[in-house]
Amino acid sequence: MRDKWLIILLPSLALLSGCWDKIELEERGYAVVLGLDKSEEDHMVDVTFQIENPQVGSTSQSVAQNEPPSDILTITATDIISAKELANSIVSREIDLSQLQTIIIGEEFARSDYFNNIIGSSVRDPEIRRKMMLIVSKEKASEFIHSNHSKLETRPHKYYSFMRDRWKDTGYVPLSDLNRYFQRTANALFLVIYASTEKEPEIRKSSDNYKAGQVPQEAGDPAQMIGSAVFQNGKMIGTLTGEETRYVLLLRKKSIANHYVDSFKDPIDNDRKISVRLLKEKKTTVKVDVEKANPEVRVHVPITVQVLSSPSLHNYAYTKERQRMLKEEIHEDLHAKIMQLIKKTQEEFGGEPFIWFQLARREFWTMDAYEDYDWQKKYRNADIQVELDITIESFGSQLKPPHVGRGD
Amino acid sequence: MTKEPSSSRNQTKNDSLFTDDFQHNITLIYEAFSYPTNQSLKTRQFSALQGTMSGILFFLEGTVEETTVETHVMKPLYELSDKPEDGKVVDMLANSVLLTTAIREIVRLQDAVHDLLNGNCLILLENEKIAISANTASFEKRVVSEPTVENVVRGPKEAFIESMAVNQSLLRRQVKDSRLICENMTVGDVFSNEVSIMYIKGIADDKLIKEVKQKVEGIQTDVIQNLSILEQFIESRTYSLVPSTLMTERPDRATSFLLGGHILLLMNNSPYALIVPITFWSLFHTAEDQYLRWANVNFIRIISILAIFIAIFTPSIYLAASTFHVEMLPPDLLFAIAATREIVPIPVLWEIILLEFTFEILREAGIRIPSVIGPTIGIVGALILGQAAVQANLVSPIIVIVVAITGLSSFVIQDLSLNFMIRILRFLFIFIANFMGFFGIFLAVACTIAYMSSLKSFNVPFFSPLAPYFHSQRGVVFRKPVWKQALVPFFSNSRYKKKVSNPKVGSRDD
Repeated sequence: MRDKWLIILLPSLALLSGCWDKIELEERGYAVVLGLDKSEEDHMVDVTFQIENPQVGSTSQSVAQNEPPSDILTITATDIISAKELANSIVSREIDLSQLQTIIIGEEFARSDYFNNIIGSSVRDPEIRRKMMLIVSKEKASEFIHSNHSKLETRPHKYYSFMRDRWKDTGYVPLSDLNRYFQRTANALFLVIYASTEKEPEIRKSSDNYKAGQVPQEAGDPAQMIGSAVFQNGKMIGTLTGEETRYVLLLRKKSIANHYVDSFKDPIDNDRKISVRLLKEKKTTVKVDVEKANPEVRVHVPITVQVLSSPSLHNYAYTKERQRMLKEEIHEDLHAKIMQLIKKTQEEFGGEPFIWFQLARREFWTMDAYEDYDWQKKYRNADIQVELDITIESFGSQLKPPHVGRGD
Repeated sequence: MTKEPSSSRNQTKNDSLFTDDFQHNITLIYEAFSYPTNQSLKTRQFSALQGTMSGILFFLEGTVEETTVETHVMKPLYELSDKPEDGKVVDMLANSVLLTTAIREIVRLQDAVHDLLNGNCLILLENEKIAISANTASFEKRVVSEPTVENVVRGPKEAFIESMAVNQSLLRRQVKDSRLICENMTVGDVFSNEVSIMYIKGIADDKLIKEVKQKVEGIQTDVIQNLSILEQFIESRTYSLVPSTLMTERPDRATSFLLGGHILLLMNNSPYALIVPITFWSLFHTAEDQYLRWANVNFIRIISILAIFIAIFTPSIYLAASTFHVEMLPPDLLFAIAATREIVPIPVLWEIILLEFTFEILREAGIRIPSVIGPTIGIVGALILGQAAVQANLVSPIIVIVVAITGLSSFVIQDLSLNFMIRILRFLFIFIANFMGFFGIFLAVACTIAYMSSLKSFNVPFFSPLAPYFHSQRGVVFRKPVWKQALVPFFSNSRYKKKVSNPKVGSRDD
């Protein structure tokens, strides 16, 4: 008898419960890019959704010939979640943010006070992942999304996921996700990828001293992503160029971009440049001393250099003297630029993007003691010395320059 | 038809003795076998000793080896020259004349009928109330051939056949030890059949042997045709999906169970050995497990474990992920699924059910179909059907992959009972996943594990020696090298903690 009851009860338990949030996956519209812009109304925000169309570019089985790869719409609402609800009155599918991996923030909105409120309140929704990548666009986010159509990637989510991998290699942009934003924004400067589709090219000799939009480019994809937007206390306060971003990463204790290619003045033929690959194989060592009135920071950066090309065709591989000259040149150049960057952060931004605050925080016994110390403020007058330890590791597979030129 | 069993039951009950009256004795036999309606009973009148001794020989056609009857029974009778001085003709015949391997003197009709049915020939003599039964049995049987279900790449290539005597011989050849005991019992009240219980004395648990014997004795039914039916009579839980006995068609596998302290049951007409008690691991391990080298067998074990999990969970995980937890799917896969799902008219649950049932139908059809056209159907058919269903937008392509990998994985599980358990469990998980997603799957997993670990097969916990844990027997999931293995009875109570064989027999690499 008891068994009979069990047989009746168990399936009904299954039938009567559950199913609340069950939706078949094709009934959802997956927003893969979200744009945030300042609205003309107060306390309102323009939310742009880029909803990917699964039937374009993902399978050969069922292809919708005449549909675009994605649908872009902008809704003005009080926050992201209510914008999502409103968008459901327009879009045929229930909008789903679970596959959302990129948030584009218009620079104007990022510089407003309201940004932190919007982004901070959004994480209450379980669909918003903290792994989402943040990008600040120079123009309005909606414009950026509308004009950013990659030639190689039909599907927008693929474009951003590939680009994220490229950035890890180049170091032109920081890795900025929502989680890091919440971790760092109160303590230090937070760097966000800076992007633009509007171009005002400036040609500069120093190869990578560009911000997004400035890279001389003809044809190709519309969006440039180089440099970083600087956030302090949840508000954008300035920008760094690609080169500066690289130095920031170099000075961090551990950086995600471990190697990149840079060029320096040829110490023999001053008009030409030498391209080298800089590798940070070991961690940067940073010592923070908070005992003194002005904190002391001692940074030691081990850098390994691989010479990639020297258009002057001088042979650096064979003589110690020339290697020393090259080393000195790199050291001088790098050191000057780094110190300039540090000065800029101290004076212009009044904060540090190097995540040294974590090392300073370690020196205190309690969180209160650290907060009383006010690291951000003390940093502005900190005594910072950077030591570069440069080792030339190799000169490439072909040591000698070809005979045709002026070589040895 | 229904009358026959009752009449034969009467016959056994009305036990009559042979008398001095020769004709009466013959009539008794004739009546027992309904002669002359029943033409199977063959008789042969004879007279020997210059006509001073005459008698009659009975046998059932098809149960005896006729040349044995001729050479070992008839010929010595005819060559008989002297009458015994004490006049005890029966004793003389039994002791010094007939040449067959077994001779029995019979006074009761019941025994005579039993012996005749089992292939003996019966000699009735004039003026004697004792009949002689001589063993001349020879039933038709096929030759020992290769296993058809439990195939191995490396290892013995013979399988049990329908003859119990041959099966015992196959086992005896592998265990040449006097401790291998073979006890015979009869089952079936009306049409009785013999069951042979085999075990190794000193290794198998006495209590266990007693319990098995009691269970076999306690069976009350008219007839048990073979082991497969006997299994259903003695298994621990009839309504459970989880099997509590194991059938093997391989003598070598049966032997290794014997050596591990299990009990073996053999019957005529069953090309299997029934093994009790069992644990999950005996179902999971294959015959080849001991024959392959260490690394190879562990690789196979990993594959089999994966296959079991794939076979149970793939459809339900897909269902749960695609209806409740889309954030788990990588975007590329998600969009590919969504694109193809868009044009499919039925919900994902019915897609899965449709294709799973199709697969099960094809599987069943593959077994039932005449072997001439059999190979053409089967998995290929399932895949073609799946492909066609995709093109007709009836199901999405990923479902075909899900069902195909699930079906394929279930073939890795060799034991039929475990196989069925997993195939049926899969549907349970599909339904739960449809209602409660991963939450439901994990609830069901917890329930299943709790249930299975509470199960016992002949008082042996189903998951032992892992749960409850016995230190003496490790290597159930991954096998140790053979020279590190000790032959320990699979379920050790305190008596059997000592190792039976020396673990260091094998050569170490040094």
